[in-house]
Amino acid sequence: MSPKQRIEQQPSFVLHTYPWRETSLIAEIFSRDHGRVALVAKGARRPQSPLRGVLMAFQPLLVDWSGGGEVKTLVRAEWQGGQPLLGGRALLCGYYLNELLVRLSAREDAHPVLFAAYADALREFARGDALAPVLRRFELALLNELGYGAGLDVEADSGEAVRPAQDYLYIIERGPLPLATHAAADAEQPVISGRSLLAMAAGDFSAAETLAQSKTLLRAIINHYLGGQPLQSRRVLKELQEL
Amino acid sequence: MSPSALDELIDALRCLPGVGPKSAQRMAYHLLQRDQRGAGRLARAMGQALEVLRHCERCNNFAETDVCVRCADPQRDATQLCVVEMPADLAMMEQTHAYRGLYYVLMGRLSPLDGIGPRELRLDKLIARAGDGLVREVILATNFTNEGEATAHTIAELLGARGLQVSRLSRGVPVGGELEHTDTGTIAQALVERRTL
Ligand SMILES: [Zn+2]
Repeated sequence: MSPKQRIEQQPSFVLHTYPWRETSLIAEIFSRDHGRVALVAKGARRPQSPLRGVLMAFQPLLVDWSGGGEVKTLVRAEWQGGQPLLGGRALLCGYYLNELLVRLSAREDAHPVLFAAYADALREFARGDALAPVLRRFELALLNELGYGAGLDVEADSGEAVRPAQDYLYIIERGPLPLATHAAADAEQPVISGRSLLAMAAGDFSAAETLAQSKTLLRAIINHYLGGQPLQSRRVLKELQEL
Repeated sequence: MSPSALDELIDALRCLPGVGPKSAQRMAYHLLQRDQRGAGRLARAMGQALEVLRHCERCNNFAETDVCVRCADPQRDATQLCVVEMPADLAMMEQTHAYRGLYYVLMGRLSPLDGIGPRELRLDKLIARAGDGLVREVILATNFTNEGEATAHTIAELLGARGLQVSRLSRGVPVGGELEHTDTGTIAQALVERRTL
């Protein structure tokens, strides 16, 4: 157990809340300097609680908390504003980002770079940017920041620079291998062009080919680290398409 | 009373939301020691409700008949269908006396991270209800939370694709509300959704 501490004015986002006891909530937040933290918000479910409208996902907050256990006590949460609420499909994509953070990041691991990437993604969603490039950039940042990132611009084994005109088989945790010399692709080992790999490494998702291939590749890598447990937010999107 | 019957009662009370072992024990002792008549009434009411209540075929609200009184009322406007999350929301809409259409009660809201999606919400039932050929406009009155918004968006996409006119309750500063005493989130959103006069 870490010593009792008091954190003040910490830039944070709520990832998820769930009821706790009769009138309280537990809020999983993603904070800039302390990573993912679980806070109990006492009385937050009472009708008159000022926290009710504040502890909303996707909105920038400044949060104070105290305590040293696994679950800390929320002291104050202040709405920072400046960002319209998410709506429509962007909102469903927001849930996907939150679920990735809840499932893949460890509690109390600080990831300020990932925090910035998350804040950027939400700002772009709120602004109405095309969703796919925002999702891909965030997925890539997440994998890199959590230490799951394998090289995109360097060939596995040989260590040579990826060539744009070459097709690659992507081996998770190793990197891209030139396709000609290796077995056929499957869902675990997608094929991707050198062009797309280099564009991804540069954060450039403007080409349709890069968007399509990076989606397949990043999904395969994320699924690998999720360990076969499907994402609820992805299931919801899939069910919607089936209705 | 044998100890196991007492334990069973305490354990059963824990199915109530927010009731832990301590409160369940307190409730059980209260019912048995101080209010046996109340306990008997509660037991009968619970049995009766479980016996007779079902979901109305049309609005999905609790009803004692296959189609509830409201849905069967010919005075109500069958061309408008208002979608709410919970029965309490329906009661609130009725108190406005500003709406004469019919309702659909979802009995929940979309919440992807809690595993509540279109299947759990039985949105197929709503699609069938709204597609009865009489409904012309669907009014989405889900809450203005992220979950309520996600629910509204999802239903709007599904019903819009089927050619229905879909509208959403508008949001903003409360009637009689002074800006000084309104929360900043509400004012900010009212500014985003301002309208031309
Ligand atoms: Zn009914």
